[in-house]
Amino acid sequence: MLNIEEILKVLPQRMPFVMIDRVVEFDPGKKVVAIKNVTFNEYFFSGHFPGKPVMPGVLIIEAMAQSSIMLFYPHTNFTKDKLKNTEIGVGVYTPDPQVSKDKPAYYLTASKVRFFHPVVPGDQLKIIIDPIKLISSAGIVKASVFVGDKEVAGGELTFTKK
Amino acid sequence: MQDIDNEIRNLVAEIIEKDPSEVGGEARFIEDLGVDSMMALEILAALEKKYKIAIPEDKLAEFTTLNSIIKVAKQYIAASQTNA
Repeated sequence: MLNIEEILKVLPQRMPFVMIDRVVEFDPGKKVVAIKNVTFNEYFFSGHFPGKPVMPGVLIIEAMAQSSIMLFYPHTNFTKDKLKNTEIGVGVYTPDPQVSKDKPAYYLTASKVRFFHPVVPGDQLKIIIDPIKLISSAGIVKASVFVGDKEVAGGELTFTKK
Repeated sequence: MQDIDNEIRNLVAEIIEKDPSEVGGEARFIEDLGVDSMMALEILAALEKKYKIAIPEDKLAEFTTLNSIIKVAKQYIAASQTNA
């Protein structure tokens, strides 16, 4: 489990744009499960919408994207000479001190996400990330977001890391 | 092997959202078809899944035309059959 202090060591985003509160399960390069607690105090509820608070879908995608960045914790990177082709889609990750120092930027390049239910104050989002394909400079992941046992959003994200 | 050529053409066409007839063997992805580099990664991931192969990431640089993708894919499909 990773608390918010550890999350902030990895994510380049800061308040008010940190969309995950805790990582409850993770296996670098293989799986991430993160939690986001949604409260009525969120800044976006004052405008989206007055009298009818609904979490914007783009911010749910942002939560998925930030959870995906955690796949690279603790600043792991491919080392090409160690790349084995024994496992489809997932290579061998090793810590890279240079990546840790540089803190790369991440850019979302494509998303195919569907929203099934509105997210409202009091909900706790459970964001589950399963990589489909990760390379040293980019990734494609499957993301599912649950509130309780109900899936509220899900799809695929593609992003690059520079 | 003609079947694999067609399968890959259809797979690529679906990812880049073109009709298979528009995807010529030597059409350059970026210049002629408006494909971005991330679509090349999606194509690579789709090929790996469909043919149960693993293509190293440095081969991505060769994903510039349909013919070059078919060439790379066949190489790894052949290798996986030899190992099996």
